[in-house]
Amino acid sequence: MLQVRNGAGETLGVLFDRYQTPLFNFYCRLTGNRSLSEDLVQEVFLRILRYRQSYQPGTPFRAWIYQIARNARIDHFRKTRPQTELEPEMLPPVLPTDSAQEQQEAALLNSALMRLPEEKREVLLLSRFQELKCEEIARLVGCEVTTVRVRIHRALQELRQIFRQLERTPAQSRAAGAAQHLPPRRLGNEV
Amino acid sequence: MKCEQIAGLLPDYLQGTVPSEREKQIEEHLAECAECRDDVAIWNKLVLLPTEQPSLASRERFDALLEAYRSGRDDRAITSSTLPRRASFWDTFRWMRSPAGAVAWSMALVILGVFAGSRINTSDSHQQDLAAMHSELTNMRQLVALSMLQEQSASGRLEGVTWTRREGQLDPQVLSALMHTLRYDPSVDVRLAALDALSRHSGQPQVRSSVADALQEQQSPLVQVALIDQLVEWRDSQAAPHLQKLRQDPNLNPTVRQRADWAISKLN
Repeated sequence: MLQVRNGAGETLGVLFDRYQTPLFNFYCRLTGNRSLSEDLVQEVFLRILRYRQSYQPGTPFRAWIYQIARNARIDHFRKTRPQTELEPEMLPPVLPTDSAQEQQEAALLNSALMRLPEEKREVLLLSRFQELKCEEIARLVGCEVTTVRVRIHRALQELRQIFRQLERTPAQSRAAGAAQHLPPRRLGNEV
Repeated sequence: MKCEQIAGLLPDYLQGTVPSEREKQIEEHLAECAECRDDVAIWNKLVLLPTEQPSLASRERFDALLEAYRSGRDDRAITSSTLPRRASFWDTFRWMRSPAGAVAWSMALVILGVFAGSRINTSDSHQQDLAAMHSELTNMRQLVALSMLQEQSASGRLEGVTWTRREGQLDPQVLSALMHTLRYDPSVDVRLAALDALSRHSGQPQVRSSVADALQEQQSPLVQVALIDQLVEWRDSQAAPHLQKLRQDPNLNPTVRQRADWAISKLN
């Protein structure tokens, strides 16, 4: 990162290779929209390129990049309200895993995750998948570390309750229930 | 230990950053409490979520972004390195691939054909034709840039902004489209790129006043900071009242306010 900061644009390519998939997955799980997630990843790297001088050497790069990622998403949704949160067809497809049961559980987890309120989903994703410590998340979202711990715990509890509830609901009525919750479909949700 | 006490410790436990004496206490509680045990189970199950792969086009877009950024910077720095040549060579192929580029390209070929034909017939007017064709091509390039600035996708408009960088002198219409983009484009990236492109036309008074005016309308702190920096770079003393007005906004981002103060001190 120091090289990028000092102007070596080629090094940004290495960072892109390292971070594009985790960032893309972060956005996909947060927004449920692949093309928007790709746009946001591009925006993050453009911002890194433009604002690389603001990176403080010696501070964790991962925390810095997620700060940018968070701001990019906030800026985006300030203009366009999310339309796609619960649209199953926009959700990332579930890839085949080891067994049919695991595959089904992954699909249910995905649905449960998308039903969590966005703030809860975000802290859960940051702590579970983006390898950020509670202290780093606290700096990122601008609150006390104890608050972050409580938020993660509550998010996990809520996810568990939704997941167990979905597990008990037969697939057909689940689909019908989800359809009732869906916001009206709007096209042209491009950046 | 009760569930409420666990709440503050569980996240660190799950991330493996809890001290070992606490770990033991948590595990004792988990052995007794089915709900908390289930929370841990769900946390572990999250590993089942598949890792999505971004499309291959994503890397291409990133490379295009890097090239556009480099060529933009190199144009400004006028360095003697090989980068500008590489960038313009690459750009030639990129615009040919885009639909607007294809139209321009085929029209250029038609003009070339007409020119070749007229050259055979009237070789005397060679110089005149060449000048006419040159101006025709310049107009057409600006027309392409203009049409791309109105594209639906952010990346299309970004490409349009990059196009305008090729021209030393911009048509008033293109210039005004760029100024419009700077103020009203929904994408932060496109607005930033438009500012970059406009920064090369500081000789035009309307560009300077448009940048100063844009300051009041921007909501994105990133764009606000970029605009302030640009005004300082131009040493535009007329921008000071705009900056004063901006910093009085009670909802202004603290970083932007700090930057505006710095800019005011620089400009005075």
